[in-house]
Amino acid sequence: MPCLNWRKENTPQRPKERRQCTHRESLAQFLAHNTVLSAGGTKMKTTHLCSQVGVTNTETELQLSVLLDQFSITAAKKVYLLEADTALSPEETAMEGVGQPAKMKCLEGPHLNQGPAKSCGSLAPEKELVSASHLEEEEENEEGEEDLDPDPDLAPGPEEEEEEEDEKDLGDPAVLSAVHNTQRGGLSSPGIKIPDVLGMSPTSLHFLWQTLDYLSPVLFRPKFPSANSPACHFGHQLLLPDPSLFCSLPTSWPPKFSLPSHLTQLHPQHQRLLQLQQHSRMQSPPAKKPWSQQPDPYANLMTRKEKDWVIKVQMVQLQSENPRLDDYYYQKYYQKLEKKQADDELLGRKNKVESLKLVTPYIQKAEAYESVVRIEGSLGQVAVSTCFSPRRAIDAVPHGTQEQEAGAASSQRLRVLHHIEKMFLQLLEIEEGQKDGPPQPCYSEQQSKQVEKLFLALKTQEQNNLEEAADGFLQVLSVRKGKALVARMLPFLPQNQAVSLLLAITHHLPLLVRRDVADQALQMLFKPLGRCISHLTFHELLQGLQGLTLLAPGSSERPVTVVLQNQFGISLLYALLSHGEQLVSLDSSLEKSNSDYTTWTDMVVLIAWEIAQMPTASLAEPLTFPSNLLPLFCHHVDKQLVQQLEARMELAWIY
Amino acid sequence: MNYMPGTASLIEDIDKKHLVLLRDGRTLIGFLRSIDQFANLVLHQTVERIHVGKKYGDIPRGIFVVRGENVVLLGEIDLEKESDTPLQQVSIEEILEEQRVEQQTRLEAEKLKVQALKDRGLSLPRADTLDEY
Repeated sequence: MPCLNWRKENTPQRPKERRQCTHRESLAQFLAHNTVLSAGGTKMKTTHLCSQVGVTNTETELQLSVLLDQFSITAAKKVYLLEADTALSPEETAMEGVGQPAKMKCLEGPHLNQGPAKSCGSLAPEKELVSASHLEEEEENEEGEEDLDPDPDLAPGPEEEEEEEDEKDLGDPAVLSAVHNTQRGGLSSPGIKIPDVLGMSPTSLHFLWQTLDYLSPVLFRPKFPSANSPACHFGHQLLLPDPSLFCSLPTSWPPKFSLPSHLTQLHPQHQRLLQLQQHSRMQSPPAKKPWSQQPDPYANLMTRKEKDWVIKVQMVQLQSENPRLDDYYYQKYYQKLEKKQADDELLGRKNKVESLKLVTPYIQKAEAYESVVRIEGSLGQVAVSTCFSPRRAIDAVPHGTQEQEAGAASSQRLRVLHHIEKMFLQLLEIEEGQKDGPPQPCYSEQQSKQVEKLFLALKTQEQNNLEEAADGFLQVLSVRKGKALVARMLPFLPQNQAVSLLLAITHHLPLLVRRDVADQALQMLFKPLGRCISHLTFHELLQGLQGLTLLAPGSSERPVTVVLQNQFGISLLYALLSHGEQLVSLDSSLEKSNSDYTTWTDMVVLIAWEIAQMPTASLAEPLTFPSNLLPLFCHHVDKQLVQQLEARMELAWIY
Repeated sequence: MNYMPGTASLIEDIDKKHLVLLRDGRTLIGFLRSIDQFANLVLHQTVERIHVGKKYGDIPRGIFVVRGENVVLLGEIDLEKESDTPLQQVSIEEILEEQRVEQQTRLEAEKLKVQALKDRGLSLPRADTLDEY
């Protein structure tokens, strides 16, 4: 059978030529064979196959070869190969067996794209039909096809060697043998194992697969009456390259009229305009032949191989170890898009339009080279030229310690800012490790270590003195970004560390409040601190409040007064009081422990008195007003005061 | 976009008519035949179009190979819409003359400006010492 012997026949030709005419000839042969069979009028399943391919007579076959000349042959070969390969596997006599490589193929190919199940689904039935027909052909015709098996192995042999030399050549034969051998490899093991039959490394082979896969959807489109189907259909899942589409491909590739894909956001007016245009186009020339315009004689000067090469180069530039980090915005955008589509689908929009995702090739990086070599004993550096950078400039790497700037206030501020930046980087790493989900105290060892490190960095800041350390912390908090850092860090910290931060904040609350006048950014700390407060013990709570109520030496004013005038301060205070009240009401034993409880009552009274003293206008509005505050005051304070408080607090709240 | 969703690539623009604006201010119109990873362009049947006011003139240039870094922007030309412009096409000689006249007036205005600044003790930095960006 000619179609099975195509490789054998073409072996004696010279390698270069073989590359060019093999495929065209082989496909022509294959088609010729099938046309002969169908012309013979035998009631074979090949007629079904032929009708699929769209070849019913020699005229269309000629047309086909013309078309194949003009367009990419790669995808066509892919189809052919798939069919041929199933034929070349005589050991799989059962239908299942043949169905399997098809499925495995489709698993391998588009596995990085969406909808592998879908494409499998569409792939499988056609495959089965094809393979079934082939099998029956074989069974009916010749026996002893085992000898064919070693031949394909031999035939690609010399081809492979050529391809090894020609690494960058993503050309057809490479693809051809890649596909061929992948198929064979796939047959032997159900897993996705690419055998090292070829000289190419598995990863580059893998990449070739992806090249094929993203190429195929472009070329094969559903057969619409107008050939100018808009490009938005490209957004579909990977369609099976339907052989029946050969005839419907228009001359110019890609189509002249292309709507931007649904991935692009258009101004609504623009969108309406384009839609109108599209409609008018669809309506007006339904009779227009696809080849209405003069065929461009200069078309395809840039061959498929060259286009693939450029794409490959661009893809290589895009590869990254961690796309979530490197390509953050695109990944997030794509996630949003997918979610939106899923929602749309749920709502009943019948169109399941799956958008393609950019799949960057995973090519193993060449072993790290040093572009700059330091020879011991010599001054300066020597630039080593490699294939990546023929003449790379010498890196200006500073050696030695940086100068210590002493004293200047600006340098101090710069140091603080620099420190905040370093800590922020650590925080971002932690957040990244915590993928998708609310931040929570980490469970993995590595993350805990990172968090620990960050906390130490924040707390100690390379200061020897405890006071200075606290001062450093306050300096961090004086910067807006520092506040953001602490706010984002708090959820990750274990309780005891979070509490220590909270206590530090409450102790220095007046100072922080004063420094925050410009930014007004303390608010962002409220939520995480609130969460921390709800886990406080009574004793810790008292510690926190004590800082506020104690009279600072050398000032007649209590810190509370200042705190009450600031929104964050008053909110924090209220939160603390509310939590205290909750603790007391829940655990009656606390009332027994005298010292703590008396301190508590004293504090409550003091605070109540301060609130009452404060003119209503200067009383700040809290972010949240806990409901158990007034009852708390009722417990400890006389009625008159309570009424005063009520009036003030509610007024302030209403405002 | 089809090959690499989410990216911008010139692959789909091949064999289409494009308008290319270069850094030196020239406007080229031609069929984009070939590209490479640096966005170097090969333009076929190129025409250099000079615009002056509402008039324009085309100078046929043949094949252009443009180094990628010199391109400011390029865009596909819709062949069906190409003809309905409000602009008026004139002959090459005429448009070159117009361009010369326009250049002259611009230079004179510039000279006046520089003189006025000089009188006030100011000076504009020279164009060649200006930063590109």
